[in-house]
Amino acid sequence: MTARPKSSLEEVLESCRPVPPAKPNILQVLLAVQEAVGYVPTKHVPRIAQVLGVTDAQVAGVLSYYPDLRAESPGRCVIGVCMGESCTANHGGRVLRAIQDLLSIDVGDMTPNGRFTLDKVYCVGNCAVSPTVIVGGELYGRVTPSQILSILEPRNK
Amino acid sequence: MKPTRLYLANDTSARAAGAGRLADAWKERPEVQLVRTSARGAFYLEPIVEQDSPQGRLAWINVSPDDFPRIESGLEGTLIDSIPFLRQQTRHTFANFGVTEPLALDEYQSQGGFKGLITALNLSPEAVIEEIKISRLRGRGGAAFPVWTKWQIARQTEADDKYVVANADEGDAGTYCDRMIMEGDPFRLIEGMLICARAIGATRGYIYCRHEYPAAAATMRTAIRKAMDEGLLDLNGASFEIEVIIGAGSYVCGEETALLESLEGRRGVVRAKPPYPAVAGLYGRPTIVSNVLTFATIPNILARGGAWHASMGTERSRGTIALQLGGRVKQPGLVEIPFGRTLRQVLEQFSGGMVPGSRFKAVQVGGPLGSLFPESNLDIPICYDAFAEAGAILGHGGIVVYDQDTDMVELSRHFMAFTADESCGKCTPCRVGSVRGREILERIQAGQGRAEDLELLHDLGDTMKAASLCALGGRAPYPVLTAIEHFPKEFRSKLSAFGGQQ
Repeated sequence: MTARPKSSLEEVLESCRPVPPAKPNILQVLLAVQEAVGYVPTKHVPRIAQVLGVTDAQVAGVLSYYPDLRAESPGRCVIGVCMGESCTANHGGRVLRAIQDLLSIDVGDMTPNGRFTLDKVYCVGNCAVSPTVIVGGELYGRVTPSQILSILEPRNK
Repeated sequence: MKPTRLYLANDTSARAAGAGRLADAWKERPEVQLVRTSARGAFYLEPIVEQDSPQGRLAWINVSPDDFPRIESGLEGTLIDSIPFLRQQTRHTFANFGVTEPLALDEYQSQGGFKGLITALNLSPEAVIEEIKISRLRGRGGAAFPVWTKWQIARQTEADDKYVVANADEGDAGTYCDRMIMEGDPFRLIEGMLICARAIGATRGYIYCRHEYPAAAATMRTAIRKAMDEGLLDLNGASFEIEVIIGAGSYVCGEETALLESLEGRRGVVRAKPPYPAVAGLYGRPTIVSNVLTFATIPNILARGGAWHASMGTERSRGTIALQLGGRVKQPGLVEIPFGRTLRQVLEQFSGGMVPGSRFKAVQVGGPLGSLFPESNLDIPICYDAFAEAGAILGHGGIVVYDQDTDMVELSRHFMAFTADESCGKCTPCRVGSVRGREILERIQAGQGRAEDLELLHDLGDTMKAASLCALGGRAPYPVLTAIEHFPKEFRSKLSAFGGQQ
């Protein structure tokens, strides 16, 4: 069970190995690792640094800088609630509270059963159809608190 | 029987409004031929279904799957050009929206696409830059820098490699026109970048696209491949390769030097200027970094002449501006008009008023760093200079309307918390100032604030404005200070009775 993520990490790193004179692009490699593995486990930082020929600190620095890079495994379904100005004006805060109440978790947390992770996002360009919630990559607009249960229920598995 | 040809937008917001559900519901119907176009930008009417008629396209608005019979029979449709929200606009950069299929290269060309590039290829690079100079185009991302000056500098700087970078990190909340361009008219962005490459002698292009726009990135990649297959990227005897690079959720990466750091794969930390990117940008080479909308404006300028562009707008803001309405208005959507109309006129003409139950309280122009305007300050003309004089910004054209339910102290705290989250940390005024600002506003929100705290916010704001390295720290105080200026009672009423002044 544990062998698979490791092998895909090595595969990703192999495909990202910089060929001189190309310089290593740490951010793009970390995004590729996250795409393959689901997140960028901190324990892999030294290995990534070694393959790219950069320092551990450079990799860790990039990993901690970008909000969309995850150092910990998220829940099976990630919920993003938009907190941009148009969504805020259109009561996105009420939608966020409805989700928090339903799942009993705070922003940034995962439900104990590992099904959902709740994140804030800052504008997905859907301002004209706000407020916006993204559930498992699917975007919902004009969301009201009363719709939350029916949006999340099918993914509660 | 011939299937009925119907047009339905495939834009992210149109899908969020129900266009996707409609397409799913109708895909099994043999009598329907659905053409997925770009979006009109009138998102409050989405999903919009259109059909050809002798008078032009007929539209059905806010359509649900059950509406098919009346659409098929052609009953109750409205001529799309008769809808005031669209009719009152001056669509140039967004002329194709709702009309063409985003990835149909032949449709782009039949609407005049690549005429600008052909003109540019027949001119000397210097003449291309001269045309941009005549157009008086200023950058549409927020800084409003004259485009030709950057191009001239990059052209004149000697280097083995030069780069063209499209800033597609449209991070200002309340803005979505770059997303619409990339999803809806991708060849226009490619054409604009090619014209720039021709003018400065660039060898490679990048589109730095935010992580939040997966559909835009996918559309751009397909469009680049199609253009390459057709030989349209051949420039100066070589292929001008354009690559889409994805960001990772950092707002400050929309600042051009932070964007370049991020493009090189590092932490998106702002660089001190000078040197400007036009001299030493990506990998230290001359680089033009411009907003997606700026590049998308360029093909028309070359095809129709710089003088055509300069004939629209106000003295120092020429051409059209893409405004994006959002918040508590009835008619959120994209509005392209010449510069010069007042904010009040724009809201009256296009917003359709407030949604039921809402009363106007304030409008914010220019994203999370933009100033707030109360009802009494709406007679400001929409142009760079009037906004600069008022200490405000047009930014990327976002307009968000707030209603009476908006708590101005909470909104101000939200803005400062945003800057504290997004500060790159390089300069002290922004890194520390935003955190202190957030703490002061949290104190006021908790009823623990003192009268001096409002003074302190002013002092802090002056320091951040004067001493921050980039616009994030430099502009962050504006929404907070304009909220205090226009809604002082809300702040004072929350001050602690102990030491507070009523």
